[in-house]
Amino acid sequence: MEDKTKTLQREFLKVFEKLEVVLGWEPGYDSLHATPSFIRQAKDLNKLVWNPLCSQNLCTYLVKTLNASVRKDDKKIGICVKGCDSRSLVALIQEKFITRETFYIVGIPCEGTVDWRRLMRIEPSLKDVQKVDIQGNELEVETAQKTYRFPLQQVLEQRCLHCRYPNPIIYDCLIGEPITPHIGDDQAYGDIEKIEQYSLPDRLKFWEKELDRCIRCYACRNACPLCVCRDSCIAETRTPKWLSQRCDLKEKFFYHMIHAIHLAGRCTECGECERVCPMEIPVTLIKKKLNQIVKDLLDYEAGIDPQKQPPLLTFDPGEKGI
Amino acid sequence: MVNSKEESTTKKDLLIVGFLCNWCSYGGADTAGVCRFNQPTDLRIIRIPCTGRMDPLFVVKALIYGADGVLVSGCHPKDCHYNEGNFYARRRLEVLKQFLPFMGIHTDRFRYSWVSSSEGRLWQQVVTEFSETIHGLGPNPGVHGESDAKAGMSFYT
Repeated sequence: MEDKTKTLQREFLKVFEKLEVVLGWEPGYDSLHATPSFIRQAKDLNKLVWNPLCSQNLCTYLVKTLNASVRKDDKKIGICVKGCDSRSLVALIQEKFITRETFYIVGIPCEGTVDWRRLMRIEPSLKDVQKVDIQGNELEVETAQKTYRFPLQQVLEQRCLHCRYPNPIIYDCLIGEPITPHIGDDQAYGDIEKIEQYSLPDRLKFWEKELDRCIRCYACRNACPLCVCRDSCIAETRTPKWLSQRCDLKEKFFYHMIHAIHLAGRCTECGECERVCPMEIPVTLIKKKLNQIVKDLLDYEAGIDPQKQPPLLTFDPGEKGI
Repeated sequence: MVNSKEESTTKKDLLIVGFLCNWCSYGGADTAGVCRFNQPTDLRIIRIPCTGRMDPLFVVKALIYGADGVLVSGCHPKDCHYNEGNFYARRRLEVLKQFLPFMGIHTDRFRYSWVSSSEGRLWQQVVTEFSETIHGLGPNPGVHGESDAKAGMSFYT
């Protein structure tokens, strides 16, 4: 992985004078975290890293933070994308929030990113981590004292265990070789089926139990690359007043329905909502279910084809069966 | 709405929210009323300009906050007053209808239908059928404030 970091830095250095800013990852506040990095000067490029801790989806910043649709000069934005991130990028292009030409995209085929919470649960004593790397089916964690090995199934994020698009969909430059997905299309919705085995009242109970933990910090919304309403998010507006400040299950439940339904047919399953959830609520499942319905009903997957229009933003007069 | 007396005494009214498009179904309901067709009395009608105005979240909110059923009705596809509103609506509503059971809400608590303003008979039939379905399902258990949730429990572990 060291060399991928180097390649990444070199690729950006080659084109740096044409770029206004580079979005990548840098080492975070401790050795088990990477954090998003906005690089505006060539000398800072050596901060960039790529390793299995680089879990943030940088597309989140494009609309909300950088306002990437407005460019003063013809300089581009450089961005690193994993497979899932590239789908978000495509989805934003599809919805015309950004244009492809504005970006210099460095794609990185990704074998999965680490969920540090799962890692710490298995090995709570983990400290002084020096290097984290994926070797075959194992995660290798080197600390000052010893080298740990964990099966990937136990430490990767849930989204990565069900990842069908480890390779970037669009890119200007690819770092490393494309890799084959762990799972086939038929297993993609395995986690949803687990819930669908429950009876209807049990499903409600399940969601009541899960969503009751929600503290409405709105982290899932803030981290979502496709939540683009910014200041007019109806979860917070007073007019119209969809949600009150009251802290009860109905409000929590409804908040998550708002998030999910606004993402119906748009969600690219990057799993950021779930990754950032401080209460570890499996909120991605709700969006995945909607995606599955849209796939079955309207034969569409978000973030795959930049030319296609999301089906719920358009219509077909001749369509049958609905 | 015309009420049949024997029905209101035998069955307890449930709360059904109806979102009707101004141009067709609202007229259809009016026609049914003018023609004095018997209809169940559970329905509360909200007039919307077009089913294209129908945010699926209206339905969700009604169901979470205790409505026993939600009926959305508009012009027949290709007959929309605004040409295309109900084309958008049918996609959204169908997705919603299939999605509700995943969250534990019975799919039959929500229905969408297309009734034009001359179809008083059809309206009567739709309302009666839907009302019977909802009575069959009973009151909406809804999303409860109290649950046995324990902090720190996780779906995956």
